[in-house]
Amino acid sequence: MSFDFLEVAIFAILTIAIIGAGAAVVLVNRITSAALFMAFTFLCMAGMFLLLGAETIAAFQVLIYVGAITVLILYGVMFTPQGPRDQGLFFQKQTPWAAVLVALIALPVVVLSFSFKDGRPLPRGGDLVPLATSLFGDFAFPFEVASVLLLAALVGAIVLVKRDDEETR
Amino acid sequence: MTPAVPLGAFIAVSAVLFFIGCAGVLTRRNAVVILMSVELMLNAANLALVAFSRRFGSTDERGSVFVVFVFVVAAAEVAVGLAIVLSAYRTRPVVNVDEAHAMRG
Amino acid sequence: MTAAEVAQVTGTFVPFVWLIAAFPLAAFFINGLFGKRWLGHATGPIAAGAIGASALLSIGVFMDVVRGATSTTVTLYRWIGVGDFSVNVAALVDPLSSVMLLVVTIVSFLVHVYSIGYMEHDRGFYRFFTWLPLFVFAMLILVLADNYLLMFVGWEGVGLCSYLLIGFWFERPEPQYAAKKAFVMNRIGDWGFTIGMIVTFLVFGSLNFTQVFEKVEIAEQGVLGLICLAFFLGATGKSAQLPLYSWLPDAMEGPTPVSALIHAATMVTAGVYLVARSTPLFEAAGPVLIVIGAVGAATALFAATIALVQTDIKRVMAYSTVSQLGYMFLALGVGAPIAAIFHLATHAFFKALLFLGSGSVIHAMGGEQDMRKMGGLRAKMPLTYWTMLIAGGALAALPPLAGFWSKDEIVGAAFLGGFPILWAVGVFTGGLTAFYVTRALWLTFHGEPRDHHLYDHAHESPRLMTVPLIVLAVGSVLAGFIGFPPEDGFIHRFLPAALYPHGHEVHHPQLAVIAALAAASVAAGLVGIFIGLSMYARRRPDPAAVRRAAGPIHRVLVNKYYVDELLDRRFVDLSKAFAGAAWAFDAHIIDGIVNRIGWAFGLAGSGARRLQTGFVGNYALSIVAGVLAIIVLYGGYAAGILRR
Repeated sequence: MSFDFLEVAIFAILTIAIIGAGAAVVLVNRITSAALFMAFTFLCMAGMFLLLGAETIAAFQVLIYVGAITVLILYGVMFTPQGPRDQGLFFQKQTPWAAVLVALIALPVVVLSFSFKDGRPLPRGGDLVPLATSLFGDFAFPFEVASVLLLAALVGAIVLVKRDDEETR
Repeated sequence: MTPAVPLGAFIAVSAVLFFIGCAGVLTRRNAVVILMSVELMLNAANLALVAFSRRFGSTDERGSVFVVFVFVVAAAEVAVGLAIVLSAYRTRPVVNVDEAHAMRG
Repeated sequence: MTAAEVAQVTGTFVPFVWLIAAFPLAAFFINGLFGKRWLGHATGPIAAGAIGASALLSIGVFMDVVRGATSTTVTLYRWIGVGDFSVNVAALVDPLSSVMLLVVTIVSFLVHVYSIGYMEHDRGFYRFFTWLPLFVFAMLILVLADNYLLMFVGWEGVGLCSYLLIGFWFERPEPQYAAKKAFVMNRIGDWGFTIGMIVTFLVFGSLNFTQVFEKVEIAEQGVLGLICLAFFLGATGKSAQLPLYSWLPDAMEGPTPVSALIHAATMVTAGVYLVARSTPLFEAAGPVLIVIGAVGAATALFAATIALVQTDIKRVMAYSTVSQLGYMFLALGVGAPIAAIFHLATHAFFKALLFLGSGSVIHAMGGEQDMRKMGGLRAKMPLTYWTMLIAGGALAALPPLAGFWSKDEIVGAAFLGGFPILWAVGVFTGGLTAFYVTRALWLTFHGEPRDHHLYDHAHESPRLMTVPLIVLAVGSVLAGFIGFPPEDGFIHRFLPAALYPHGHEVHHPQLAVIAALAAASVAAGLVGIFIGLSMYARRRPDPAAVRRAAGPIHRVLVNKYYVDELLDRRFVDLSKAFAGAAWAFDAHIIDGIVNRIGWAFGLAGSGARRLQTGFVGNYALSIVAGVLAIIVLYGGYAAGILRR
């Protein structure tokens, strides 16, 4: 019995899901659908992380991306309703150029990326202990700074959205 | 013992997803959709980072540490980005990036 | 040698010769800087005082040279020094320059004093006494210089001051035009002077008089001729000879003292001085002298004919000046530079007197210069009348007045030098001169007054103006005796040391010959006077009848042979056309090129501007395009296709 086969199969399924959902985000007309496809992409990404053995990261992925960011995006969609007419205009004027350009870059990069090889033997165990040790050890300072960054983003978002006439209330 | 799925495969997936997101940024008109595409790109970057972190280099999971910070920044960026979109929406109820050419030379 | 002997060799005053020029320069600065606001009418005495001091010092220097001081060079500083070649700011004090110093400073002083009275009511009083001492300064530089370049500085300086003073009343268009005309015609002459200097430098390697004259033999006659002709062209411009003379009559637009000083006694004599100073060069150049003599004689005759019919009293004097300058060049041309300088000195006195006297008349007539409106002024202005009569007699070369001695020597030299035609022209012109001066004086002072209104207001001029007239009259009488006895007077023994550094043969003609020639000239003069008196005093023949009979000739003379019109058409219009073409070239082609370049940049800019769509999506796209480029390059290097 070989778990390898299972690993490859799951990887294949997840790959198709991610790429398909990602393409859907970019291509579908309705925004809500795009948002949900995005959430699905995030979920599959978490699966990928699990496949790599990075359980903590997978957990964070679900928490942050599928949880918070998806909700944020849905809020954004909700507060910017588009009229039916606007739904028809989906693509920018530069779309043909962009498509060609991206395709031109993507092809060689993808082909080249297959050439990466593993650098060490298969890791044992999860990533929680090493991650925590590094994060709260060597990278404690950036960790604190990151929290300041979040605070700044929080304040900034509030300030940006504030209406001027709210003062008078 | 070599793993079943080679590192290169993960990187390839990451690359494809990244360029899909890139295409979305350059192509779609709706600002929120652009934000979503940016998130896709960030995710792709995360995947690559974690893949390298787990399969390449030392065992102290530094790549994953970086991913944590990417999470933070991505979240902050979405929040602020959406705040901007919302306040722009107030002036014109169509969030269409084609019309944001006030900086035209 | 004792101190006294040393002093005698170098002179007690000679080392201070630069002060002579410094005083007028100081007056210029003081009056120029402070005249308008603080000094007002005090500028007049300041300038006059400065010139007076210069005059006294000049007398001192002159006495030094007379008593035997050798030719000295008093150097102020080394101006240009390049290897062996040097040009210094230095004064050459020798008999020739000391005589010129006397003439310039004394006449300038008298004119300054006169002007204090004449310009009293003029608004530009302080300005007048700023430019006038500046002129004297420039003239002194010209006279004192020991080299051609420094002389040229003075040469240009007097030209500038002439422009400033002719155009003194610049609010009116005629003075503006006259000043420009004078300056431009001078400039043409200056071109000649410059060429002369350049060739002199090329041939002799120096511009210093003494050095050049020492080496005269090394030059071949053709080159020397070129140099001399070039310098003569310069002299033609400055001294108003054919063909560059027509600025002088127009220069009468300036105030009368200016005409007296600059256009009679000093600036116009600069050309004569230049040729006289360069005598060693001209003597060696041979045939060139004939040209000079011919031009001088032709000018003398030409100008005298025009003077016959002029109605403006100053214009009569102006053409008379041109004519008398012609005599001086005639003298130079026949190899008698001493006679030329002699006549220069006497002419300075009596012509300045004639001009100042005219100024006195004009002043009395409230600014009227037309002789047809004068008459009978003898009774009203006796002092002016008598002094002008003396000057007129000197001009007509009546013995024993000054003009007789000097002019007679010139025509005598022409005859004795073997130029009978030039002699005949000189004598005939002498007759014409006597005629027109008689006519001018009669019309002004005798007969019935033709404009009673002006006549009633006429009065004798104040003492500030009449005293200089008297002094000049005395000079007009006595100045001739520096050349007495003829060919052997003081001036004949004094000047040769300066003119002929290599020595010179002196011919002493027989007294009988001299007397005969003199009689011929005097006879011509008397004939002229007689005809003049006959026509104007007794109307036999009536001038109006003569004018009608000689209609066409008269018209030609009154219109000055149409020379001005000719010059206008030939040269002025041509220059204007050329200037117009140059302007068009500048405006359309040169500016056009500049504008086109600007337009091209604008075009490039608006092209580049299209990159700035303002649409961020486009910018993102260009970033991605850049990434593609990097990938291509990197791939190329890696694949070995592109070399670093």
